[in-house]
Amino acid sequence: MKKILRRTYFGLILFLMYAPILTLIVLSFNASKSRTKWGGFTLSWYVSLFQDEAIMSALYNTLIIALVSAVLATLLGTAASIGISAMKPRAKTIFMGITNIPILNSEIVTGISLMLLFIACRVTLGFTTILLSHVTFCIPYVILSVMPKLRQTDKSTYEAAQDLGAGPIYAFFKVVFPDILPGVISGFLMAFTMSLDDFIITHFTKGPGVDTLSTKIYAEVRKGIRPEMYALSTLLFVTVLVLLILINSSPKEPADTKVTSSRRNRKQVFRLAVPAVLVILLIGGGIGYSLKNAGNASGEKLIVYNWGEYIDPETLDMFEKETGISVTYEEYETNEIMYPKIQSHAIAYDVVCPSDYMIQRMIENDLLAEINWDNVPNIQNIDQSYMEQSESFDPGNKYSVPYCVGTVGILYNTTMVDEPVDSWDILWDDKYKDNILMQDSVRDAFMVALKRNGDSLNSVDVNELNQAANDLIEQKPLVQAYVVDQVRDKMIGNEAALGVIYSGEAGYTQRENPNLEYVIPKEGSNVWIDSWVIPKNAQNKENAEKFINFMCRPDIALMNFEYITYSTPNKAARELIEDPDVRNSKILFPDQEDLKNCETFQYLGEEADNYYNELWNKVKSR
Amino acid sequence: MNHTLVDLIDISKSFGDQIVLDKLNLSIRENEFLTLLGPSGCGKTTTLRILGGFEIPDSGRVIFDGADITSLPPNKRNLNTVFQKYALFSHMNIEENIAFGLKISGKSASYIKDKIKYALKLVNLEGFENRLPDSLSGGQQQRVAIARAIVNEPRLLLLDEPLGALDLKLRQDMQYELIRLKNELGITFIYVTHDQEEALTMSDTIVVMNQGYIQQMGSPEDIYNEPQNAFVADFIGESNIISGVMLEDRLVEILGAKFPCVDTGFGKNKPVDVVIRPEDVDLLPPEKGTIQGVVSHLIFKGVHYEMEVQANGFEWLVHSTDMFPVGQQVGIHVDPFDIQIMNKPESEDEEALGVNE
Repeated sequence: MKKILRRTYFGLILFLMYAPILTLIVLSFNASKSRTKWGGFTLSWYVSLFQDEAIMSALYNTLIIALVSAVLATLLGTAASIGISAMKPRAKTIFMGITNIPILNSEIVTGISLMLLFIACRVTLGFTTILLSHVTFCIPYVILSVMPKLRQTDKSTYEAAQDLGAGPIYAFFKVVFPDILPGVISGFLMAFTMSLDDFIITHFTKGPGVDTLSTKIYAEVRKGIRPEMYALSTLLFVTVLVLLILINSSPKEPADTKVTSSRRNRKQVFRLAVPAVLVILLIGGGIGYSLKNAGNASGEKLIVYNWGEYIDPETLDMFEKETGISVTYEEYETNEIMYPKIQSHAIAYDVVCPSDYMIQRMIENDLLAEINWDNVPNIQNIDQSYMEQSESFDPGNKYSVPYCVGTVGILYNTTMVDEPVDSWDILWDDKYKDNILMQDSVRDAFMVALKRNGDSLNSVDVNELNQAANDLIEQKPLVQAYVVDQVRDKMIGNEAALGVIYSGEAGYTQRENPNLEYVIPKEGSNVWIDSWVIPKNAQNKENAEKFINFMCRPDIALMNFEYITYSTPNKAARELIEDPDVRNSKILFPDQEDLKNCETFQYLGEEADNYYNELWNKVKSR
Repeated sequence: MNHTLVDLIDISKSFGDQIVLDKLNLSIRENEFLTLLGPSGCGKTTTLRILGGFEIPDSGRVIFDGADITSLPPNKRNLNTVFQKYALFSHMNIEENIAFGLKISGKSASYIKDKIKYALKLVNLEGFENRLPDSLSGGQQQRVAIARAIVNEPRLLLLDEPLGALDLKLRQDMQYELIRLKNELGITFIYVTHDQEEALTMSDTIVVMNQGYIQQMGSPEDIYNEPQNAFVADFIGESNIISGVMLEDRLVEILGAKFPCVDTGFGKNKPVDVVIRPEDVDLLPPEKGTIQGVVSHLIFKGVHYEMEVQANGFEWLVHSTDMFPVGQQVGIHVDPFDIQIMNKPESEDEEALGVNE
């Protein structure tokens, strides 16, 4: 009875530990894309995985980085172990402590520190920096597995070899090395495994266009999980599992002392075979891979840094085909993530697509290059009104070319709101208590209050700001919730009557729920503009201008508009839109009249930022 | 007389603050079996390691066959070492172990094969060529280590407590084996041990060391019978070391009684240390002894009885084939030539130095 209980408990723990991975493995063979329904067994996800060039290239990167860094770390770590083992006991303790710290150190700290170091040393982030980082964090693991072997090794065998006429190096490789070989091999496998499944450090030290499997999986998952990712994760898990089994089975050699010479040799051969096979696979794969990509290896290059899901990938292919320039495409999630990378000069991006206020900040900090308009004739396709709006952050239109634009307005449900909506005032109407949704971000919330009072949304006037804060506090009892993405879902679901929303999302909500209407209040609102700019340290400025010009071509702008669904400032592209409802949509293409009182956000400086936040906290905490 | 093979001249060596060797001088003759004997930490192993080239002395010179080899690396020296823990190469079989040195010196395959056969025969391990070291017993491993060293035909073989890890019976067998080997090969052995019996059995010359100094050097008989100071006397075999006064030539007073002896030249009424080996103490009926005492302890040791006798305030250690029961009144007699007189050391340093001649 006791035994059964014990086994059940043990089984339960094992099950709980492995249930998540088991789920993943099962899903990787599921013919249905659903995460809950079993649609039959299939290997098609594995097939399509191996046909995905981006993933295969990430796989190759992962393996080559893991192999090279493991080899380097094994060499350095073994040499270090020999040095440490020859030290006096006290120095040995100190050095072992020092080498152990990186293992205990939080990975994110290691990752950020390495990134900062590379930036400080002006090393361009890329393949090399990933490799260097991996070598760095792998060395302690090698030392950790070689040291015990060295400690067990009888020092007198080394002396005996010398005594018999061997020089120090010959003696080491002939006598000491075979003794520590199991430790070296398990150190190598450990380093290989660590490198293989590292994400955090790679994430911080990688450059554009270089992805390992883990960063690739992360980037893919951000866009939505594809079943291929289950297959890939399963393969990664199985690989790491096999490596761990190898590591754990290799050092337990001297247990059986009666092993005959030939049997032992066979064991050694097997253990040497593992790395050998890996090397052959990699070199073979590398040759195949480089042959396949030989066509792309021409000189012209371009590195694009853009928001996630902010371009039709097909337009990139078209650009490459038309110009012969090979494009490295990299994505970011927010302006704030993008900015430090540009500022640090860690990576020489050629084209970036920041928002209005960020462009202003970049101009102020002298990070942008002036665009040579002779190379961008297609600029004439951009609506003049957006060029004018751009002047608020880019005076004289020297640095930026508008790519996507949008406004902020009120989305309202016509079945719940009878009166005409044309003013922010309606958000302060008691009638709609608990039916109002506000944006949960400081600048958006204050924009509403400031604009309602006829003030600038970039106001730094203390009185105006205090007034706006008081108004927001007054409004708070009427507000159902301060939210970001849920405005869309709640409005579609008829859960609220009025919501502050970005125009880019308004079109989608209208298609889902025809009772919804979007309006830009007469007091004016925020108009945002994301524009192409060229960083000052761009290596391929002319290619960047070619790219921007290409993006301004009406057919290309139309493709991107259809892909992103945000408004395009490209009036020539707008004319090509076939659906008259879309072409004439007031949400997507507001009149001059609507935009009359609209402004773009500007960077207000640290002091003003802090004051905004202070007031916002006051509002939120009431 | 054979000519000198090795000369250690003014060798000093310290590790940190600890002085291990202080101006050591030692000559080793060709074809000699010389043993460095002393307690652990006496500097004997360091001396051997300096000879082997594993330590460089802080000062002094090592002359080998007329050439200065003080800073020559181990692999360039025409000598070989048998290590305390055998130091066999565990991933190589016996054949490969023995061939290691020969391969490095570039000998032909047939020569190596013959040599291995010869060496294994010499150490009685024929047929062990393909075994791995771990599958051999301690004694067998040690013989492989010896074979591995001697196939290189060194002029000098250094042995660092090679029998220390073996059990008693095996150790005794190996002692005879080593003597036989040395005689067959005709090479010089320098042997390090802390086991005085081992040293007495095998050596031509024993060098007793303590605290980095040579205490006494001589044949086993000299060392045993005429220890030059209390340290040597105490370290080599068991002894009764008693304070006494040299009244005149050939007469010493111990514990209030006068004993005739054979030593001369100490002067009159000089305080000395007297060494009497336990087997040299004769127990007689009380009235026949020089002094009288009572047996306080009795142990049967096989070959002899070991007794302790309380006499004139000193506990005498006695080995005798005759048995005297505990409580028995006995008389103690010592023959004059069995009494060894030594100068009293005037300080601790001197004790270590062994300056008394």
